[in-house]
Amino acid sequence: MKIIGNKITTNMSLFAFLGFLIIVFSFTSEHFLGIYNITSLLTNISYSGIAAIVLTLIIISRGLDISIGGVIGLTTVVIATLYSQSDPLPVWLILIIGLSTGALVGLLNGWCITVLNMDPIITTLGAMAITRGLAYVISDSQSILMFEDTTDFISNGTILFIPIPIILFLITALIFSIILHKSKFGRAVYAIGANETSASLSGISVKKVKMILYVLSGLAASISGIILVGQTSVGMPQHGIGTELEVITAVLLGGTALSGGKGTIYGTIAGVLILGVLFNGLTISGVRYVHLQIFQGILLLAAVATYEIKTRNEVAT
Amino acid sequence: MKSTLLKMSHICKSYPGVKAINDVSIDLFAGEVLGIMGENGAGKSTLIKLLAGAEKKDSGEIYIDEKKVDINSPKASQENGVSVIYQELITMDTLSVAENIFVGQLPVNKVTKLIDWKAAQKKSTEVLALLNSNIKPKSIVATLSVYEKQIVEVAKAIHKNAKVVVMDEPTAALSEKDSKSLFKVIENLKNQGVGIIYISHRIEEVFKISDRITVMRDGKLIATKQTKDAEKKEIISMMIGRELNQFFPEIKSEKKGVMMKVSDLNINGIIENISFEVKKGEILGIFGLVGSGCLNIARALIGVDDIDQGEIHINGKKTSIKNPKIALKNNIGFIPIDRKNEGLTLNFSVKQNLTLQSIDELGSSFIIQESIENSIAEKWVKKLDIKTPNIEVEVKTLSGGNQQKIVLGKTLEINPEILVIVEPTRGIDVGAKMDIYKMLENLCKEGVAIILVSTDVPEILSISNRVLVVSNGKIRKEFKKGEANQQELLYEASLN
Repeated sequence: MKIIGNKITTNMSLFAFLGFLIIVFSFTSEHFLGIYNITSLLTNISYSGIAAIVLTLIIISRGLDISIGGVIGLTTVVIATLYSQSDPLPVWLILIIGLSTGALVGLLNGWCITVLNMDPIITTLGAMAITRGLAYVISDSQSILMFEDTTDFISNGTILFIPIPIILFLITALIFSIILHKSKFGRAVYAIGANETSASLSGISVKKVKMILYVLSGLAASISGIILVGQTSVGMPQHGIGTELEVITAVLLGGTALSGGKGTIYGTIAGVLILGVLFNGLTISGVRYVHLQIFQGILLLAAVATYEIKTRNEVAT
Repeated sequence: MKSTLLKMSHICKSYPGVKAINDVSIDLFAGEVLGIMGENGAGKSTLIKLLAGAEKKDSGEIYIDEKKVDINSPKASQENGVSVIYQELITMDTLSVAENIFVGQLPVNKVTKLIDWKAAQKKSTEVLALLNSNIKPKSIVATLSVYEKQIVEVAKAIHKNAKVVVMDEPTAALSEKDSKSLFKVIENLKNQGVGIIYISHRIEEVFKISDRITVMRDGKLIATKQTKDAEKKEIISMMIGRELNQFFPEIKSEKKGVMMKVSDLNINGIIENISFEVKKGEILGIFGLVGSGCLNIARALIGVDDIDQGEIHINGKKTSIKNPKIALKNNIGFIPIDRKNEGLTLNFSVKQNLTLQSIDELGSSFIIQESIENSIAEKWVKKLDIKTPNIEVEVKTLSGGNQQKIVLGKTLEINPEILVIVEPTRGIDVGAKMDIYKMLENLCKEGVAIILVSTDVPEILSISNRVLVVSNGKIRKEFKKGEANQQELLYEASLN
């Protein structure tokens, strides 16, 4: 029961920190708790939140994906370019091609990592440069306008007054928390991250599981890209710059260990919310974007430091 | 009597809920080997950690050369002349032998203040020569054998002028031949006046090389005896607190048809034309010294090592075992050699480890059904008498014997028809050993074919129906039960 106890306390302290931030910002800005701001905050975190949920599984498996931002940019450009043709394909097909873009990048990442046994950081760093570069080449470094009903609905529509991106985020979180915490596949992900040799000797198809994870991560990044196109009505190669950092920060903040085998979806949700509240609160309190980046960097380091200190204490007791 | 080098007096150490060391006092004389014996969890390792400064004692005193010392860090321990060679060697594998021996104190050129490699190599060669070793100072440690790495650790201790050298299960991963060389090294250290604390489960060894034996149980010191006055049975019964009738159970079973047939198995440069059969209900022992290839035979059978040539038939059907998953599908269960890195997932709970090989059986959908998982775990905890507070604790908190039972339970859950087990009782306590032998006996009765790869000579001779001796990648000889004694087995294994 001890493990479960720890899980709860870790997440509790994260949510307590979140509550603290909310209280602070409700004093520093009168608009913070307004319904408009809350909705826009939640909508804004949804798109990176989806990628963060999937990345949680990758980091638990002791991998990493930093090509997320590049895939987002490439997806927006692919979609907008296809739509801007004089005789465009049907929108559903364009969206499928957009999703396939991410899936394909994920497949290639997974192939390099499992078959060629390449390091995940380096592999996806390469993929990040390639996808971003491709986005610039395809778009000729231009922004491509895309006013289109379906993407507009995905990003700005509501169901029962709830914006669709938030619904997508919640559905993703729900599905993946079941997969990670309740399913056989989730158990395999933890086993691989905790001890790959033992997992493989236990009959787990390590390569297959990893491959699936990277494909899912690519897919999630493409979904984020589609949401972004709808929100901005434009596909451009700069979309998603820095998103990988944001997403990795959120996941680590949520208590997932870079060393693998540990982490929860609830933790990541807390991490995403903390990051979102902090950015939103600081922004409407008048802090400039350039300063926000510093906060983000500090938060990332603090997340990792907290984890290290906690593990050291666990070893000591 | 020689002078007292080390005295640990009334040492106590508690962890939450456990008294790991309870009022233990030991002393060690110059030029003496003190064997410390005890089952896992008896407190031997904790006692050593206190001496090494890796843990802090709650109360008690430590004297070195009859002077009270305060050992509160590994550095303080080393400065007082204590050198500990842990079971899991802590050599720096990517560096050279010389760099390991001189760690942190490489000789420097007086003028340039740069490292004087020539001097470092010359001194390393000298230290290694004291140990009758011809390891090259320039060799990278990662390329050395386990024995050679141990020698490097010993050389490091000598270089630091250690007065007290502690060896924790030093022969656990050594072949018989290397163990013998190590005993010579210990003899050598003794003659130089070094005091040695020797921790081992291998009673034969401790009797052979120690001057006195201290037995610990449940954190307490049971007795310290002169080795020449002690009897093996007596020591064992002190360790386990009850009389042991025999070392090994007689495993009797009815052997029926051939379960597995291996023909002309080859791994280029490692094993050559290995052929054998195992019957249902039979234990086939495969014995060889380290590097003989017998480990690779086991690894090929479970799909870890790729074979270049040869065929495996299971129940008369030709089967290609490309990976462990396929092995498991063909009902081949296994216990790998390295419990902590291959057998278990240390951060996982008892329950999660026990069900890891049979995840697919945990419910009909993709969701794990917790009730099934719990009942599987409870079943094995009961059947194998695994001592754990509950099935939710992480396995890293359990003793080696209980961990090994979990490795066994995990693979028995797949209902194996063939069981490939490598060093199943290495480094575990006598009680757990007996439990595991008993389980193997039951499996034989149920008709499971067992392939046992072990370097433990008495073990393999006692529980196998037949023993194949492997050396240099080839099968040299086959002994039926009772045909060979320990000397003959070792002799055959050492032939090239």
